[in-house]
Amino acid sequence: MPPTLTPGDTTKMPTTYYLLLSFALFVVGTAGVLLRRNALIVLMGIELQLNAGNLAFVAFSRAIGNDSGQVFTFFIIALAAAEAAVGLAILVGLYRQQQTVNLDEARLMRG
Amino acid sequence: MQATSFAQSLVFLTLAVMTIGLAVFTITRTNPVAAVMSLVGTFVGLAGIYASLSAHFLAIMQMAVYAGAIMVLFIFVVMILNRDDVAPISWRGIASRSIGVVATAWAFAFVTLIVVRAVSPAGAPGKVAGSPEIAKLLGLPPEIDASFGSVKSIGHGLFTEYVFPFEAISVLLLVAIVGGLVVSRSAKQEQHAESVAERDKAMREQIRPSSILGETADEADAAHSHAGGHH
Repeated sequence: MPPTLTPGDTTKMPTTYYLLLSFALFVVGTAGVLLRRNALIVLMGIELQLNAGNLAFVAFSRAIGNDSGQVFTFFIIALAAAEAAVGLAILVGLYRQQQTVNLDEARLMRG
Repeated sequence: MQATSFAQSLVFLTLAVMTIGLAVFTITRTNPVAAVMSLVGTFVGLAGIYASLSAHFLAIMQMAVYAGAIMVLFIFVVMILNRDDVAPISWRGIASRSIGVVATAWAFAFVTLIVVRAVSPAGAPGKVAGSPEIAKLLGLPPEIDASFGSVKSIGHGLFTEYVFPFEAISVLLLVAIVGGLVVSRSAKQEQHAESVAERDKAMREQIRPSSILGETADEADAAHSHAGGHH
């Protein structure tokens, strides 16, 4: 039989609390994406949203006692790194072409 | 099952307040450097929460990849752009944007509820999880092995069951590297790369006619059979 942790070693907070924290983090990230116009802050809002999803994954993984959810979180972290690299490259390209990082001024495609 | 202790509640509350507070700080700053720094704080708080959920490997990854690599990338871009004259908030279409925030929040909550219903252990096959199962899932988490969330356990999952997504991620990272380089190069670098490609192409065109192996082999064959015919 594998050794079990002694009681008190791990958190015994109800999963609901973690899900509520994840929800709050997601809402803050969404507000950052939709309300702010600085492209850098918008990218940071996307990072917050991804992290909220990660937190939900880890909380559910702990709640059902199966750590596959943590493997998925690992993938999402790698994905977020790729997303940040390409997103920031697009930002630098946008600045080179338009001399602005304000999303309201970047209207090449009449958005 | 042991109840929540005061110390555990205190740790959770501290980390949660730190995470949310710094996240709000992040999206309200006009100075991008302050925003990046508070985002680093958010990620540190999240790493603590992962550790308290027995996800120790992920806590370290969060610190190394997010707080380390991604945030350094952000700082570099802030340095390159060096502009803070962007209006903090846009009032153009603020109503529809706010509705968008509420709608997205509602969608997130809705999906979470669906997931809660789906992963709650139902009593019999095909039976929808009832409120006791949901309460059990949302309540205190179960006892787990000491290997839960360890490098060994996560690594085993990565290289057995999830080996295909793992390889797909490596391809994705390669594409991101190439894409990042192509998108962010300047017009001058782009022209240079294009002229080099044109020159290479012209050189290949010049070399082609006389030195293709297939053609010379065919000629040798033809000469041989011609000689044989003479005998």
